[in-house]
Amino acid sequence: MADLKIQGLAKSYKDVRVLESIDLHIASGEFFTLLGPSGCGKTTLLRTIAGFQHQDRGEIIVAGERIDHKPAHKRDIGMVFQDYAVFPHLSVADNVAFGLKARALPKAEIAERVAESLKMVRLDGYQDRLPAEMSGGQQQRIGLARAMAIRPTLLLMDEPLSNLDAKLRIELREDIRDIQRRLGITTIYVTHDQEEALAVSDRICVMNKGNVEQIGTPYEIYRKPMRRFAASFVGTMNFLPGQLEGGRLLVGSQVIDYPAQASGPVEVAIRPENVELAAASSRGGVISLKGEVLKVTFLGREAHYTLKTEAGEIVAQVADPAQDFIEMEGRPVEVRLPLQKIVLFRPSGDVLDAERAR
Amino acid sequence: MRRRLRFDIWTFVLIAAWVILIALLIWPLSSVLRASLIDNDTGAFSLVHYVQIATIKAYQRAVGNTLLAGFGGMTGALLLGVTLAFVTTRFHIYGRALIQTLAVVALVSPPFIGAYAWIVLFGASGVVRKGLSSVGISIPPLYGAVGVILVFAFKFFPHVFLITSGALASINRSVEEAAESLGVSPMKRLFTITFPLILPAISASALLTFVLSIADFGTPRIIGRDFNVLATEAFNLYGSEVGGNPGMASALSIVLIVLSMIIVFGQRWILRKNVYHSNLIKKPERQHARGFKAVGLHALAYAIVIVGALPAIIVVLFSFRRTSGPVFQPGISLRSYERVVSTVSEPIWNTLIFSSVAVAAIVITGTLIGYLISRRPGIATGTLDALLMVPYVVPGIVMGIAFITRFNEPPLALTGTGLIIIMAVFVRRLPYSARSVAAALKQVGPNLEDAAVSLGYSPGKAFLKVTVPLILPGIMAGALMSFVTAMNELSSSLVLYVGSTITMPVRIYLSVMDGEYGTASALSTILLTMTVIAVYAAFHLSGRKESALL
Repeated sequence: MADLKIQGLAKSYKDVRVLESIDLHIASGEFFTLLGPSGCGKTTLLRTIAGFQHQDRGEIIVAGERIDHKPAHKRDIGMVFQDYAVFPHLSVADNVAFGLKARALPKAEIAERVAESLKMVRLDGYQDRLPAEMSGGQQQRIGLARAMAIRPTLLLMDEPLSNLDAKLRIELREDIRDIQRRLGITTIYVTHDQEEALAVSDRICVMNKGNVEQIGTPYEIYRKPMRRFAASFVGTMNFLPGQLEGGRLLVGSQVIDYPAQASGPVEVAIRPENVELAAASSRGGVISLKGEVLKVTFLGREAHYTLKTEAGEIVAQVADPAQDFIEMEGRPVEVRLPLQKIVLFRPSGDVLDAERAR
Repeated sequence: MRRRLRFDIWTFVLIAAWVILIALLIWPLSSVLRASLIDNDTGAFSLVHYVQIATIKAYQRAVGNTLLAGFGGMTGALLLGVTLAFVTTRFHIYGRALIQTLAVVALVSPPFIGAYAWIVLFGASGVVRKGLSSVGISIPPLYGAVGVILVFAFKFFPHVFLITSGALASINRSVEEAAESLGVSPMKRLFTITFPLILPAISASALLTFVLSIADFGTPRIIGRDFNVLATEAFNLYGSEVGGNPGMASALSIVLIVLSMIIVFGQRWILRKNVYHSNLIKKPERQHARGFKAVGLHALAYAIVIVGALPAIIVVLFSFRRTSGPVFQPGISLRSYERVVSTVSEPIWNTLIFSSVAVAAIVITGTLIGYLISRRPGIATGTLDALLMVPYVVPGIVMGIAFITRFNEPPLALTGTGLIIIMAVFVRRLPYSARSVAAALKQVGPNLEDAAVSLGYSPGKAFLKVTVPLILPGIMAGALMSFVTAMNELSSSLVLYVGSTITMPVRIYLSVMDGEYGTASALSTILLTMTVIAVYAAFHLSGRKESALL
């Protein structure tokens, strides 16, 4: 069991700053996800922890010991790769035994650990197969077993599921989560898939342009975004232009009391599932906008409404829509934004009032 | 911010690679450039040699003839190669394996064997010519420009064939079907869709055949008669005991290199934006032609490869003929072989030893450099990669002259040793090996090595344990092909050999020049057999057949 501390980590390629002074503290046994769009620095951060790349500044400390001066092969960090990186010339068992042989363990122990690791990823019985005979999902299980067999202090996973099809992705991510919980290994997981991040993580670190935007539990990231970027990247978010003036919020032609000290332009953000249409009743204040239904997309258990309102276009999500709800294209509708559910962002991208964001 | 210089095994390899290329490539070639700019008599800097090339008729003719041979050989090889590739990839031809085998036989037999076999058939006292004249048909003997161009065309077309059939087979059929559905006739489609799509392959093989044609020394020498090209002129001026003119030979060499380079850059310019990527969905199908069309297509395909392989076949047949001096007699005999074994077995051993040593060095160095190029990009490796292009455009004759000029004096008095021949072959073939390893490495994801490192192996060990086993078949196939080219190396060895270091190609060349056709045939057959065995082994190892040759 080991915790990971990262202090002031920075890296540039020529003039491009890929990582700008990153500080993180990941608790022992935590499942920690780095989430962000491609090019945000998440993979660079992961590979720097693994030792495949080298920071310009900063420290990496595992269980109280600095590891950033150690070469990659002495860091004792297990890694799972996006393209599996399974050795195609070795059998499944030899793949898993590969790291154990480097540690010169006795034969009997190697055999035992290989069997144990393969059982863990539900590949027992496949020892003698060659990777080419196996599916992508199975190959990634080999990769996982191989990384776990060396009993690393940290497990790093670099988009391990992005090459798999949707169904396998969900199946394998549950397995990864279960195994990680059972063994309690500190895990850093990189993904650009926000749903995956929400599903598996203890905590998520949203990254953009080499910076940490927000760190929090999946609930906090989704419901209490601290930065406009986190709000827009994780899930769908509507943004409408607004104005704060002397304790009042102006949206479109609507004015409503809003207890905030600040004034100036803001963006009003709300999730589609929190937008209410027509007669829905809600407690507390609402912003009520006149709108028209532009388009309805029926998705089975829900429908998405693209609405034109006086303040701009937004999307609303309606669960379990009724028949007459589907035939609403072109009709006028009243759009209600419950004040409890909205979040305001300053032009800088920071949330206006952390207390009110929920 | 401070920059960390991290030393590992690859830093050392990079330095070693630079040292090798400077010592064996830049330094020797600089001597050629220097000699070309110095007046032979006064020893002062002068452009006199270049002025002479521009003004003296014989040299002007050599430049013109070189271009004629280059473009002629290239055009002929392209016509034959693209036709054969098109016919075999788009129509159902019986015996495709046989066609490919014959093309490969044409490819691996040394070009001067081809020239010599053509003389046996169509020379002044050629078998075919004599046979035809006995029935009243008289054709001129096959010497001069026509002979040289024909030999080049039939010698080099397999390169074009192998490169373009790969490209033709990977055109998405839907693209051609789309053109057809838009109302474009099949013939027009060929020129507006198909050929533009395989332009990279066509231009690459055009470049290759041009460079091979102008660098070739044996063919114009044997079959050219008074058709002088830059390579033969340079050799004559350098090699003659009396009236040698090293400055002029060097200047001609430089002109030859410049011609090759112009073509290389020309090809890059043509391809500057004409590279298309299409995701292959439907592979092209082979049509079943019927009736006269089928007969015609088969005749065409087989005619090309049989004529191409004819020299090799002729040489083998003639090696078993009874000879008396230079004259072939009727009847079968093993006399030629007896004579080879009893009197000239030394070249066989020299060839085997030199080639083996050179290939061992090529494989080790080439693998390490190939790895650097593909896995450690940077300025130092980038220039190294560019520098590796140089041997492609430096003809063997020039490399030989460069070596003999530089390694002539103590402490590097290597002239007359086997080592200098080995070094010349080594530096000439190193780029092929490095490039093929770099290409093979592109198939092996870099993450595999990272995975091994994360599991506790040092970078060096990870390379040995994971990467080497995966690229080993490619390395071995490349090694065997290097072995083939090393065994068949004529031009640089011809400049560098002395009596005790004579190799088979040199011995064959000298035998042909002396008119000892029996010995030449027997030695050629032995060389051809060794070549075919190596090629077969390379095919076997690489799995994908033709790719081993490129």
